[in-house]
Amino acid sequence: MAEDDASSYPPIEPSTFDLIVIGTGLSGSILAAAASAVGKSALHIDPNPFYGSHYASLTLHEFTSFLTAHSAPLPHPNTQPQFQIENNDYIVAELTTHTLYSDIEVTVHDPEALGNGKKFNLDLAGPRVLYRADSATELVVKSGIEQYMEFRAVDGTMYVGSSEGRLDAVPDSREAVFKDRTMSLKEKNQLTRFFKLVQSHLDATEGDETARISPEDLDGPFADFLNKMRLPEKIKSIILYAISMADYDQDNLHDDNYVLKTKDGIDRLVIYQKSVGRFNAPGAFLYPQYGQGELPQAFCRRAAVKGCIYVLRMPVLALLMDKTNEQYKGVRLASGQMVFSSQIVLDPCYNFTSPIYSRPRIRREKVARGICIIRKSLKPDSSTFVVVYPPRSLHPEQMTSVRVLQVAGNLNVCPSNMYVVYFAFLCFDADQGKRLLHTTMSALSSLLADENSEDSSSSLPEKTGTSEPSILWNAFYIQELIKVSTRVSPIYFS
Amino acid sequence: MGTGKTSIVLRLVKGQFYTNLESTIGAAFFTQILSLSEATVKFDIWDTAGQERYHSLAPMYYRGAAAAVVVYDISNKDTFTRAQKWVQELEKQENLNLVMALVGNKSDLESHREVAAEEGDQFAQQHGMIFVETSAKTTLNINDLFYQIAKRLATVSPPPRSSSGISNFQDNKSQRKFLCCSG
Repeated sequence: MAEDDASSYPPIEPSTFDLIVIGTGLSGSILAAAASAVGKSALHIDPNPFYGSHYASLTLHEFTSFLTAHSAPLPHPNTQPQFQIENNDYIVAELTTHTLYSDIEVTVHDPEALGNGKKFNLDLAGPRVLYRADSATELVVKSGIEQYMEFRAVDGTMYVGSSEGRLDAVPDSREAVFKDRTMSLKEKNQLTRFFKLVQSHLDATEGDETARISPEDLDGPFADFLNKMRLPEKIKSIILYAISMADYDQDNLHDDNYVLKTKDGIDRLVIYQKSVGRFNAPGAFLYPQYGQGELPQAFCRRAAVKGCIYVLRMPVLALLMDKTNEQYKGVRLASGQMVFSSQIVLDPCYNFTSPIYSRPRIRREKVARGICIIRKSLKPDSSTFVVVYPPRSLHPEQMTSVRVLQVAGNLNVCPSNMYVVYFAFLCFDADQGKRLLHTTMSALSSLLADENSEDSSSSLPEKTGTSEPSILWNAFYIQELIKVSTRVSPIYFS
Repeated sequence: MGTGKTSIVLRLVKGQFYTNLESTIGAAFFTQILSLSEATVKFDIWDTAGQERYHSLAPMYYRGAAAAVVVYDISNKDTFTRAQKWVQELEKQENLNLVMALVGNKSDLESHREVAAEEGDQFAQQHGMIFVETSAKTTLNINDLFYQIAKRLATVSPPPRSSSGISNFQDNKSQRKFLCCSG
């Protein structure tokens, strides 16, 4: 209950577990469910008053206050991580928190239309969808959490956007290629031939080397392979950035880590194609009713059903290490209680130093995210769909794909007369990220404007200023992605 | 020992009572169909799986629930206080059609009674709730509780919508989800 805080909780019983998971984000929740399913005793704690951590879906008010609260280091008695020896048993490594969000801009254009904001379930980690044929969906089915959830098809197909304000449907199957009206007959033949080639590669039996793509090609860049197949630029771009979802500009790479290899590109293409039409629904994607935040909730419920103990609103202050053998032993909670476990998983926002373990090495990338709430669909004929803007399609500085997801009231994420649009891309620099967020926003706004002008094409082309604003609310923010590599064996980061 | 949420559900669904039932782990939901003259009501009963212990119930429990049963133990005053807080929590969820029932369980423990029936009844009336005292042990009022809920559901709830989405990947889920809370 809201008025309760951690100090009013009864002590956690028992006080020793096989596993303690801090943070109810998606990965932490899956781990808690998996550990509980195989009979391990688990304690799952979150400092927030809600489930989902960085994967939560929140009301308008919760959303803004979460971002604001996490854009500055959480108040902590000590600003620097410290360690000291407490009584004679443990070495105490105090935990501090990383700042994961920055450059937050929230603009409310029409407060009246938004009301109290409780009808919104906004994803912190949008845009996210599930491929119907990938391992995440398999996990949803196998773990049994699908009995707690409902999913809907993202009903529109995928589109590729361009700076001229066009949205072209991705020709993702032979049928779609056939129906497509933007490609020439020659381009259609080339694409069909490419799909056939991939199919025969996959169907080829062991030893049948003629039908298979050569190992050198499989290990090489997918972009080179597509060039070798002499696919035109436009189709190459669709395959790379829409169907295979490459993050980085594959023609302008200065880091080998960002190359999409042919074998990975083909794997993704296959997942995409298998996803199309699975569960007898259009498109390739699924989206959960009430937002992505339902997934961690469902995994947590699964874990609880198998005995995992849940405590929200409980900050964790310190890690406890055994003084004699220097091994991780447990944690000290904000309630003052110490709880122990053989393994621990920490939310990525926590940081610590210890005399024994070297400081984890952290590689930081950023993801720039934007959300807007609009009154009209970006596409008049569809309410939920995905758009990809390939690198450099919006701006010469755009080095990564911008992905967009529109969802609607039928998913219980907003009132029925509104739409929520999520967009995001990877970036290295916050300023650059912010500029591109604004560029993306104007590209999306121009889609809305086009639609309006079509509606009133007969008269008054310029007088749109008196009408209601089509964008009701928008938020931009930059999120740190933390990748940790550490030699500390008993400590993992979720 | 808890207030007897799981015992109430097991008594309804299986007609059994277990002494020393451990704190709930295990059961996710139970299904029971009750036929009234007005309608047939299928209950999908969600147990709280212990997540209520540290006030950590997920919004998932409240969503789409048609009814909520809040259970306290008549021989334990603290559970009644907590039950009242749960009722307030449920009222905050803006689920206007939610049918709520307050249940004083363990009415067989009359000699240890700490909460008078009138207290429960009065609180329930103030909040527009069904009120009964039950004993999962002796079966007292268990069926009556669910018949009362079914009756009220048949009058307040709109008929189940047919879902056009992908429910569960399999069959369409019943719309009459229903949960059990406790003090």
